[in-house]
Amino acid sequence: MTAETDTAAPGPAARAWLARLAAGEHRHHRLALLAGGAVGVATLVQMALLAGLISALLVDERALGELAPWFAGLAATICLRALAQWGQEVAGQAASLGIRRRARAELLDHLERLGPVRLTRHHGAGLAQRLVDQVEALDGYFSRYLPQQALAVAVPLMILAVVAWLDWLAALFLLVSAPLIPLFMALVGMGAERLNREQFVAVARLAGHFIDRVRGITTLQLFGRTAQATREVEAVADDYRRRSMRTLRLAFLSSAVLEFFASVAIAVVAIYVGFALLGYIAYGPADELTLFTGLLVLLLAPEFFQPLRSLAQHYHDRAAALGAAAGLVALLREAPDEGRGAHPFSTAVTEAATNAEPARPVAPESLLELDNVTLCHVGRGRVLGPLELRLTRGETLVVTGPSGAGKSSLLQLMAGFLAPTEGQRRLAADARFAWLDQRPLIIQGSLADNLRLAAPQASDGQMREALSRAGLAALLDCLPEGLATSLGERGEGLSGGQVQRLALARVFLSPAPLVLLDEPTASLDAQTEARVIEALKQLAAEGRTLVIATHHPALLSLADRRLALEAAPVRESVDA
Amino acid sequence: MPDARDASLVATLRPWWRLLDRRRGRLLAGAGLLLLTVAAGIGLLALSGWFITATALTGLALAAGLSSGLDVYVPGGGIRFFAVTRTVSRYVERLYNHDTVLRLLADLRGRLFAVMAGLDGHTLSRRRASDWLDRLTADIDTLDGLYLRLVAPAGVALLAILALSGLLALWLPRAGLVALALLLAAWLWLTVGQARRGMAASRGQVEALEALRGRLLEHLRGLAELEAYGSRAAHRERLDAIERRLQDDQWRLARIAALGSALAGLAVGATWLAVLVLAALAWQAGALSGPVMVLMPLAVMALNEALAALPMAFTRLGATRAAAERLNALEAARRPNVAAVSSAAGQAPPPGPLDVMLDAVDLHYPGALQPALSGLCFSLAAGRRLALCGASGAGKSSVAQLLTRQLAPSAGGISLGGMPLAAIDEAALRERVACLTQRVELFDDSLAANLRLGDPEADEARLWRVLAMVELAGWAGALPEGLETRVGEGGRRLSGGQARRVGLARLLLREPELVILDEPFAGLDAATAARLAIRLDEWLAGRSVVYLVHQLGEAVDPPGIDHRLTLRDGTLCTSDQDVSG
Repeated sequence: MTAETDTAAPGPAARAWLARLAAGEHRHHRLALLAGGAVGVATLVQMALLAGLISALLVDERALGELAPWFAGLAATICLRALAQWGQEVAGQAASLGIRRRARAELLDHLERLGPVRLTRHHGAGLAQRLVDQVEALDGYFSRYLPQQALAVAVPLMILAVVAWLDWLAALFLLVSAPLIPLFMALVGMGAERLNREQFVAVARLAGHFIDRVRGITTLQLFGRTAQATREVEAVADDYRRRSMRTLRLAFLSSAVLEFFASVAIAVVAIYVGFALLGYIAYGPADELTLFTGLLVLLLAPEFFQPLRSLAQHYHDRAAALGAAAGLVALLREAPDEGRGAHPFSTAVTEAATNAEPARPVAPESLLELDNVTLCHVGRGRVLGPLELRLTRGETLVVTGPSGAGKSSLLQLMAGFLAPTEGQRRLAADARFAWLDQRPLIIQGSLADNLRLAAPQASDGQMREALSRAGLAALLDCLPEGLATSLGERGEGLSGGQVQRLALARVFLSPAPLVLLDEPTASLDAQTEARVIEALKQLAAEGRTLVIATHHPALLSLADRRLALEAAPVRESVDA
Repeated sequence: MPDARDASLVATLRPWWRLLDRRRGRLLAGAGLLLLTVAAGIGLLALSGWFITATALTGLALAAGLSSGLDVYVPGGGIRFFAVTRTVSRYVERLYNHDTVLRLLADLRGRLFAVMAGLDGHTLSRRRASDWLDRLTADIDTLDGLYLRLVAPAGVALLAILALSGLLALWLPRAGLVALALLLAAWLWLTVGQARRGMAASRGQVEALEALRGRLLEHLRGLAELEAYGSRAAHRERLDAIERRLQDDQWRLARIAALGSALAGLAVGATWLAVLVLAALAWQAGALSGPVMVLMPLAVMALNEALAALPMAFTRLGATRAAAERLNALEAARRPNVAAVSSAAGQAPPPGPLDVMLDAVDLHYPGALQPALSGLCFSLAAGRRLALCGASGAGKSSVAQLLTRQLAPSAGGISLGGMPLAAIDEAALRERVACLTQRVELFDDSLAANLRLGDPEADEARLWRVLAMVELAGWAGALPEGLETRVGEGGRRLSGGQARRVGLARLLLREPELVILDEPFAGLDAATAARLAIRLDEWLAGRSVVYLVHQLGEAVDPPGIDHRLTLRDGTLCTSDQDVSG
């Protein structure tokens, strides 16, 4: 479904991860197995009772009234079998739900540990999709495939033992196909896996074509080419059909073989038993067969194959789970930067990544000190530093420099989103900070919900004031629902400039002494920019410490101090 | 449950069912193969039971010294026939039905693409995100299961129940009646009952998944701010609440589906037991032979296969319904004026450069807090050039979308060449109005194919000529595959500047009478832009032009501007300035 799943054969790491997840729910799994085993036993008993009943009626010619306990027993086993079947499904699902919950939490914890800067390397929507849909793709494997895997061995063996006890020759017929079964299962498996892989590539190509054309649909409209493109979309889908039918013809053959054995086993057993009962076969146990044993052997023959057929049906669950796991394990393998997790600002970060207290500034009036820090990115070399910086309380520092000089990296370093490669970052104990992002976060919810992200306890009055200081008073006045106005998904309904100012209102609302702003006036027109600069001046006047990264000249007027970064000397950008 | 909901379910799925129905022959043939497989399975088990019983009884009779004969070859042949039929029909059925499903998929995609091609600019821009597209394709995949997972198995199960009951009634009408009553009730429960019981939870599950994706995206994109303000844990709590809701729904669905599966087994078990009792009674009364008495319950037993898959599929009907609802909503969002125009006898303005008139135009996006444009009034004489300035978000692109009829104004009137825009024939409008959008969209195809979007008939010489005009001929000539070089997804193999110039070249292949250029020189260095401006000036002669620019005088201005207007927050702020002379 997602285009970015790993198409390579899933590695052992994916299998190991799945096994570890399964181990966490072994109780539910055991329940599912027990229930599945009970289904097998109930089936066996039910068939034995049925065969016995028929034999008692037809051969022993007993009256129907005498046989009432048999009927009662049959009714009871039918009910028990249904109950066990219910139990198997429910226990499997309970295991799967628990596993999916834990897998998602593990992934999210890991992504949080990677931090905001590392996450920018990923496509955000793609990540969210993977955390939702690829984790959901694990369902069938844990709820159905895994219990069935064990049952597909145990139940046929049990049935084989019973049949062998009844008539070893009939058991031999079943057994003859038995060594072939692993072979065919492997065939089914290989077929399914190869099919899955090839289909995956083909589906990705098909989806890619569709998405490519949809992305450009405005252009197609403008050039008046939509009808032609529609025909093309249909043609590509039809071409995909023709190609995938070629693979399917082979892939279905392997499961057809399993079906064939199941059918033929019934036929062979029926004919063998029939001829034996007629006395045509004088070999081995054949002359000892009765209607009871013969009928029971016949009834058990399809049940011998049933668990295998179920397993084959669930085989694609396994392939889907392995595919998803491969992608997710790749994500889990990304190691967080050293020093991340020892985050002194956020109270939420309580992971025991490091227990060390962050270093405190040397000078008492300092809020933050960077001591000879450098920052290197893998593949890009040094992006910042060595840098010596002392941020005094109440000052406004403007960081300038050409794009790529490391302005944003410096802010991220100050915020602790990145850890310095060398050197030390020292913080005052009360150094909480507010952050203005280039792409501010708008959560789905009301205007007030969005503001309270920065200060959960803020009153309506405080929020109104913050909005007005950020230049949004006019907007607020024209909203009939005021602060309770709901903002759609991703701030739908707000213009880019309004989103920027809403984020700024959060900064005003936050009590943090340190304010880090990354291009606060990007995408604003001159008039709004002036208003924002005025607001920032007030912020500085409150005694807050501001660090502003910008290349807009208008913001320079705010500076108490300026830091001009130069483009890093040597940087080999590695373009994909 | 109220009937209105059922009616809306039928109404929701009807357009999609109608689409499937175009392939009725294939659908019926596929269902027929499914039925054949089920029938062969029933026949195999029933006949085998009959045969064993018959041989046993004959064997006993022979042992007792009675003369008794049994034709073993016809039933033996029958058993082999059913065994082979079941295997072969299953294989053919799977192949055939997969082929059908893939054909349906092609139909669905084509239809959906046609629907999307009719969407307006605002709806499209909101939905361009790849996650939305992924969801869309997932919805199509959900709908293609309508036939193979829902309709066909339910229909086949019903037919099998009717046929089997009829068969039983041939021997013993009472047994046929009992089987019909029990199995029909079970069928109703497994389809309609399961669907109703699962409807709320399966729709809830779809919504919860959607909400979870949205919240997760917030969480990951906004991690910097959440961490800075210490509100990460609080937001994570919101996520967890959604996940709990999701898992509650999934747990409920799992229990409903498991109950359905158990009931399917129970119903079949109860039916064959009842049939066995009735058959045994009849046998004792001498109305039935022993082998037939055995055949009857075994035939019912084999029906299990036809019913087993129903509960799972129908419990999740809500997901199919939700997918259909989303796609229906998309269809409903289609530009109303497109349908109107294509049906009306379209007209075209007189040939020659088009003048442009906007009269008190308002534009209000649904759900937006403020209008995107309000009270917009300006006119442009034929053959003149207007520069519309403004910051991003001021409404420039909205004006372009209005002029190209990708958006309809909420109020006010627009006319081109003296004719109301809404009355102009679609094909004529596309031929005579051209637009270079801010984001140049290239397709994952060859360079030539991308250029020929401008003119499908253009020969190679013309392609090279327009490439030379945008100074890409040298670059393209040096490519090993020349014009056949593939540009990659969204033109990713080209640099931003190259992609823009390819977009411009594509436009130069056309002969429009109104040209809208959004930042024509963005991403070009000053020297190149200056050279391009000269050639563009020539090409633009005799056409009306609207330039959309951030600010004039910053870099190289587009050539030959006659008037200048500035937009701020959706309104014009300076009066029409004549800068030509």
